[in-house]
Amino acid sequence: MEDKGVFGKIIAILPGLALMVGTLWVLRTWVEPWMANTVLFGQKGWLVKVLSLNYILLAIIVGMLYRNLLFGGKIPAWAEEGFRTTRLFIKAGVIMLGSLYTIQSLAKVGGIAILLIMTFVFGTIFFVMFLGRLMGMDRSLIGVMAAACGVCGVSAAVATSPAVKAKPSDVALVIATILGFGIMTMFVSPFVGKALQMSDYQFGAWVGTGILNSGQVLATCLAFNPTIAPGTAVAYGEIWNVVRVISIPFVVFFITMWFWRAEAQAEHLSLAGILKDKFPIFVIGFFGMTFLSSVGAIGAEGSNTLHLMRDVMSWIFGIGLVGQGAYIDIREIKTAGGKPLKVGLAAGCLKYVVALLVVMFFVSKESSF
Amino acid sequence: MAGEVKKSGKMTVFRTDRHEDVAAMVLVGCLVVIVLCYMAFIVPTVTVGAPMDGKLVAVAVTESGMVKKGEPLYSFEVKEKKWSQGKVEEKLVVREIKSAAGGKVLKIVAKPGDELKKGKPIVVLEHEKGTLP
Repeated sequence: MEDKGVFGKIIAILPGLALMVGTLWVLRTWVEPWMANTVLFGQKGWLVKVLSLNYILLAIIVGMLYRNLLFGGKIPAWAEEGFRTTRLFIKAGVIMLGSLYTIQSLAKVGGIAILLIMTFVFGTIFFVMFLGRLMGMDRSLIGVMAAACGVCGVSAAVATSPAVKAKPSDVALVIATILGFGIMTMFVSPFVGKALQMSDYQFGAWVGTGILNSGQVLATCLAFNPTIAPGTAVAYGEIWNVVRVISIPFVVFFITMWFWRAEAQAEHLSLAGILKDKFPIFVIGFFGMTFLSSVGAIGAEGSNTLHLMRDVMSWIFGIGLVGQGAYIDIREIKTAGGKPLKVGLAAGCLKYVVALLVVMFFVSKESSF
Repeated sequence: MAGEVKKSGKMTVFRTDRHEDVAAMVLVGCLVVIVLCYMAFIVPTVTVGAPMDGKLVAVAVTESGMVKKGEPLYSFEVKEKKWSQGKVEEKLVVREIKSAAGGKVLKIVAKPGDELKKGKPIVVLEHEKGTLP
């Protein structure tokens, strides 16, 4: 790399980058529409609706297949430089995610809901940090697991990973743990809700707080009440879920501070010094996008401009996630041990049960918003 | 050899994380500018489609007429469902869709009374250059 010069470096990047972009193009243009129209078990789009297989998950899976099957465990030299742009695209995607939120959108949900959700988000994060350190887990892995269990799974894990220098195998482990827990709760929750005679509002609030993955929140609410309409479980569950998702930047910031503070102590440096030298400043870009979105500088909600902006964002994210998948080495996951699984399950179960108790005792059957 | 192993695991082409962060922000900045410039100055026409499944009630603009930002384009009837006490209550609501940018109405594709699926085109606009449609 060192002897190639800028032009040579760009040329070296192209083959791998072309593979990442081409893969995503095929997934979005051909594979995802095919899955949406395929009838399985008598239901059109079963793969998308039930397995939640979208181009994002497919990008990670195909990336994994490239490395672990096609490339025999190692990315070949001709594609290596291109795949190294992975983190650039992930960071750019995270920055653009900021455009989904506005300061005003927070205000619509209500103070009590925000307070309750934030308590659960940060309570879970503290619990994972405590248990992770007790079990001797790697700090990067704790950071990603805390974000994933505290907020909403995949997005939070991906958003936090570059800031805490997590390995792709760490992210894969965390995602596998929380998705596994989510699948279990997807089947159990509707029966619990019916048995306890929960209202749609209570069920939505519980599931929106207690289940870790956005797609699974949706599926669980629909299993409880299949009607999609305002005032149903899915409508309430998504509102609570959205508030949780909005907290991603705050969680990323908090976990980043925690991670780098310990780094400073380990290296006998001041926190201010380490923040100045190493703080991932792309997080500031995220807040910049939120600010632009709040003042309407990137188009009004529902406008063609914002639609195009989000389409570009999904491409950026998708390209990065093909690369992210290609850096997941299944052999590393096998040797990682069961600690992350134990911590993830403990945090998930605690949050799930405490959220149920809080909702049953403190949340009324009728909606307050 | 150890150095090579470490390098092969890296997911970045940049010298430091700070360089990569700056590059990511520059990349996003460029993309945002490109999208905004494209929409404001290059895209010739924009199609305003149905916001969701429903019925077109009335069109508030005329072909070749001008429309200002924030002025109504059309009224759209949608079915709102409210789940209450274990029952679904449905009611029809008419929503007024406003223009995101000022400009000239080139074409009205749908007519009042049409049942439209989400995204189906209703009005084609030539927006004022420099505004975001």
